[in-house]
Amino acid sequence: MTSDHWGFVAAAYAVAVLALGGYWRRLVHLERTLKTPTLRRRRSAGR
Amino acid sequence: MTRWLGVVAMLGVLAGLVMAFLVAPREMTQGNVQRIMYVHVPAVWVAYLAFLVVLLGSVAYLWSRAPAADRTAHAAAEVGVVFLGVNIATGAIWGKPTWGTWWTWDARLTSVAVVFVIFIGYLLVRQMTDDPERGARFAAVVGIVGALNIPLVHFSVYWWRTLHQPPTFAKPGPAAASSAIGAALLVNFVGLLLLCAYFIAKRYDLLRAQQEATA
Repeated sequence: MTSDHWGFVAAAYAVAVLALGGYWRRLVHLERTLKTPTLRRRRSAGR
Repeated sequence: MTRWLGVVAMLGVLAGLVMAFLVAPREMTQGNVQRIMYVHVPAVWVAYLAFLVVLLGSVAYLWSRAPAADRTAHAAAEVGVVFLGVNIATGAIWGKPTWGTWWTWDARLTSVAVVFVIFIGYLLVRQMTDDPERGARFAAVVGIVGALNIPLVHFSVYWWRTLHQPPTFAKPGPAAASSAIGAALLVNFVGLLLLCAYFIAKRYDLLRAQQEATA
């Protein structure tokens, strides 16, 4: 009977979640920084 | 549209996790550590497809100089690097209990590492010049060279004697795994493919918005 090494399984899935989740967060952050100046410009133009 | 793709991708990833942990059986030889394969293998298939998009986008850009083709290639390269990074990291974590080592310089691992470095180079070379058009042209050449290395990665296990096993599914003849394992791999592949498509679509939109903001 082979050992199951659940710790390695958890580590592998944690790394995948961190990498893919981290990239998604980067995209969300980029989107926010791109939208912020546009909103500011629109607000100041509306005044 | 992109938002809905994200929701569907999330559902696909969740379905993949259910298949990997609740449906797929415990593998007889390796035990439960084999469950790492449900993220390791689909991640590299998805990365290969992303790099195929880089190849097509780069050729289209060199041919037409259309900024949309360069944006597509750029977005796909970035996302492909993330998925290939996941593949390499999860492979190392699987390798330690199975092979007794995190890493070995055999033909498959080395060729994958070379492709990873080439596509990091693809992302860096864009920043090396002040002229974005010139950077895009250099990157397109690097992208084509990187993508042409993928057949070398796939066939490395046949051409050289390696510690890495030959493909279980992407090979001629019957698959060397049970149908339940095959189904779990397929569902995880579809889930990660949807996630990859969502990332590329979102990154493409952001690159277009960045270019419009600086124009």
